[in-house]
Amino acid sequence: MTGQVAPGPGVQATADELRRTVARLFGRSLHIRTLDTGSCAACEQEIRLLAAPHYDLHRLGFFFTPAPRHADLLMATGPMIRAFDNAARKTYQAMPGPKLVVATGACALGGVYQPDAFTHGGVGEVLPVDVWIPGCPPSPLALLQGLLVAVGRLAEKVRDLDFIQERE
Amino acid sequence: MSAIPLMAGAAAAWVLAAAAALACGASRAGIRACCAVSGLGGAAALAGGVSSLLSGNSRVLTAGGSVVVGTLQLQATSLAGVFVALLGLVAAAIAAYVPRYHDPGHATGRYLAVFNLALLASLAVLVAGNVVTFLVAWETMALLCYLLILRRPWRTEVAAGAFWFLALSEIGFVLIIAAFVILAAKTHTMQLDLIAARARLVTGGWRDTAFLLALIGFGFKAGLVPLHVWLPEAHPVAPADGSAFLSGLVVKLGVYGIALFGFSLLPAGPAWRGILTMAVGAVTAAIGILYALNERDIKRFLAFSTIENIGIIVTAFGAAMTFWVYGQRLLWAFLLLAALYHVANHGTYKTLLFLEAGVIEHATGTRDMDRLGGLAHRMPRASVIAFVGTLGIAALPPFNGFVSEWLIFQGLFQGFRTGSHLIAILIVVAVATLGLTGGLAIYAFVRGYGIPFLGMPRTRQAAEAGEARQPVVGPALLAVACAALAVGAPVVLAGLARAMRTVTGVTLRPVLLPGNLTVIPAHTKFSGFSPTWLAVFLLAITAVPALIYLAGRPRAASLTEPVWDGGLVAFKSRMQYSAMTFSAPTRVTFDALYRPSVSVSRASDDPAGSSGPVHYESEATPVFERYLYRPVIRAFEWLADVVRPIQSGDVNLYLFYVFATVLVAYFIAAV
Amino acid sequence: MPLWSLQGLRRGVVTTRYPARPDPAAAAPPTPPAFRPEALTRDLADRLVAVCPSWALTRSNDTLIFDVGACTACGRCRAEAPGAVTASGEFELATTDRAQLVKRIPLLGRNVTANYHGKSA
Repeated sequence: MTGQVAPGPGVQATADELRRTVARLFGRSLHIRTLDTGSCAACEQEIRLLAAPHYDLHRLGFFFTPAPRHADLLMATGPMIRAFDNAARKTYQAMPGPKLVVATGACALGGVYQPDAFTHGGVGEVLPVDVWIPGCPPSPLALLQGLLVAVGRLAEKVRDLDFIQERE
Repeated sequence: MSAIPLMAGAAAAWVLAAAAALACGASRAGIRACCAVSGLGGAAALAGGVSSLLSGNSRVLTAGGSVVVGTLQLQATSLAGVFVALLGLVAAAIAAYVPRYHDPGHATGRYLAVFNLALLASLAVLVAGNVVTFLVAWETMALLCYLLILRRPWRTEVAAGAFWFLALSEIGFVLIIAAFVILAAKTHTMQLDLIAARARLVTGGWRDTAFLLALIGFGFKAGLVPLHVWLPEAHPVAPADGSAFLSGLVVKLGVYGIALFGFSLLPAGPAWRGILTMAVGAVTAAIGILYALNERDIKRFLAFSTIENIGIIVTAFGAAMTFWVYGQRLLWAFLLLAALYHVANHGTYKTLLFLEAGVIEHATGTRDMDRLGGLAHRMPRASVIAFVGTLGIAALPPFNGFVSEWLIFQGLFQGFRTGSHLIAILIVVAVATLGLTGGLAIYAFVRGYGIPFLGMPRTRQAAEAGEARQPVVGPALLAVACAALAVGAPVVLAGLARAMRTVTGVTLRPVLLPGNLTVIPAHTKFSGFSPTWLAVFLLAITAVPALIYLAGRPRAASLTEPVWDGGLVAFKSRMQYSAMTFSAPTRVTFDALYRPSVSVSRASDDPAGSSGPVHYESEATPVFERYLYRPVIRAFEWLADVVRPIQSGDVNLYLFYVFATVLVAYFIAAV
Repeated sequence: MPLWSLQGLRRGVVTTRYPARPDPAAAAPPTPPAFRPEALTRDLADRLVAVCPSWALTRSNDTLIFDVGACTACGRCRAEAPGAVTASGEFELATTDRAQLVKRIPLLGRNVTANYHGKSA
């Protein structure tokens, strides 16, 4: 939960161009490598459901791959336990660029576990995260939305949400 | 120069070397001098062998002897020419190897003297012109080889291995004597070329009995299954050059004996003779390589591989004899040629591999594959040379093993020309067995080269190995010879074809097409390929992509990342294959042959807690020792027990024996 | 022909049409809470902060800082104060900017009798 300054215009232009490149490269064919950094596997079960007929991520052009060398996007779950640092770093390094990192689930986003001697408390401490998907676990639809946001096919919604209940 | 003077020169050189070894083997300079002379003798023998190959059989030389034991007669034959050339090459390579391998001392001096005399005895076997010379030379060679193996007799396993060699050699010798006696008695002469000329006097049952006795007797020396058991016992315990000599040459003397009886002395015979030889050869080849896959000791592994190759050679012999019976004389001569070429090839690369096994043993202190690993980094020269030998023995193109096995296979494929369906089917079964053997051989040598040389070192000794003062000239010479035999195959085959004309009377030269650098299996329209052009082609197709890459390399900066290893912290040497796990699939598939006995024991049987280290032991049942040799040995021991009362130790009983013998002799003389 | 393929033909396509069309079962799983600012007092906010097991809620003066990313939708805050907290029904929460997930909820519950007109800043 680090504070972020609003980016200047030049940086924004680069970011936009990067987003366009990402959409061009990955918009219709994306290979995802999941990375379990110490989760309870509830997120993994939801991720598994994505390949089932009801949600079927293949119709969107997304595929799972076990080999980081073939992967475009790293989907990290779990609070990044310290014992996993080396493997996480090696997995990220083994992916050829351009690559994206998606932090999935409350653990990976900094909730549930505070940083201590055994865990970093969030994936962002070790990997450069591009997209954050909240949820515990995030439902398959939330995962789909997150992946589509990552490749630029859907716009983000949560900016405009304020979680304030309107009185009718 | 003609053959006899060259071989005489070789013999003289070896006698001189033996004397030199005895005299000054205690000093390093003395060893070098002895080996230099021995190497010169080897070169002379190589030249003499090639010369006798090309020029045909020479006159029989008679020298001395007496009425009682017969005369010493020598003859340089074309058939023996290949073996003499191989002897020369092996001797030269070992001579280059010895100075850096053995430490100077009186024991080494004696050993080198014995070795050079063994070379002399082997040469004598190959140039023997009559039966007595042959037998005397044979026995001398066997005894000298026994002494060779006994380099370090204070170790129990050395004494046991050497005893296996000697015992089986002597049993074979008895059978060889019997075979020669039959021939000599039937043809009324002791001279080998006269026996060959009068072969038709040996008829029917005597002829087949003589051949069978020769097959079994020489089979003991050659290593045919089930007469092979001395090979895996004797090879590991002999010094490396001794093992190289044993596998490179001594087993070939057994092959020479079989070839002598099958093609020279008794060329005519019934069909079952060839089929039997072929069957024995095929079974030997398959069993040899199957047992090789079960071995961790490099030298035992190579010993079983020798058995496999001898099986291939003898299969070719058997098929050749079968073709003769059905009138296919071209294929008869061709398969003999292919088998002799394989003899030369196998002698070359097996000697090389044994010498390299010795280098490994000296560098790391162990022969166990599972304690080695990563030697290619520590010992680059040895690994390159051993790789050449491995490519040869695994019969991979374009090396010499590939050419000779291709020739043998192509000869066997033409079994349909015999005209008999049954024979053709039997030959096809033999081909299938050899095919299985070839596949398993590649598997075995991927394991035999990969486990010690590639990967990570499994022990500290392997990690600290170095080839600083290891012998390299001898093995390198053999590696060059392998390449020469491969690329120069047309030349070699032309020479062998000329020899075949002398031995078999069949002219193969026009149908070998050496002028085109193409070899064909006896019949023009069957198949053909060019080993020389194949080598050139393989070089080219590896060079072309390299050139394309160099020319069209992407100019952008490239990133080098480590190999994806699953995110491990680091590879450990224990994560690699071990020799036994690599060959586990064969143990599972062929467990009817291996009959492994498995025993698992653990320190405690506490199911809940830690039970301490688990001890797992699996051993292949030694089928031949247990079910063939042990009963025979026990029968003899029983017989000895029965006869023992004769030796009671009582002087009076002995005097009675003397008296009874005199009485019997008196009665016989009177009658 | 196997029975399951006949049943499948009868049932029709079950794959969701998301994102082209909304999925009817979308908001069925638990979702992060939405707060009613006028029901939140400082004491209530402190109670909610104490009860959250995931450190998603903190109070800073008169603002309840709600980290949507850390929320596990366990529902304890709603059980603690059902009048002030309801389920938001939002599940499309992905973002490229972590800071966008940190929401600030004003604590307007000091005066429970005041009327609430419109949204507060």
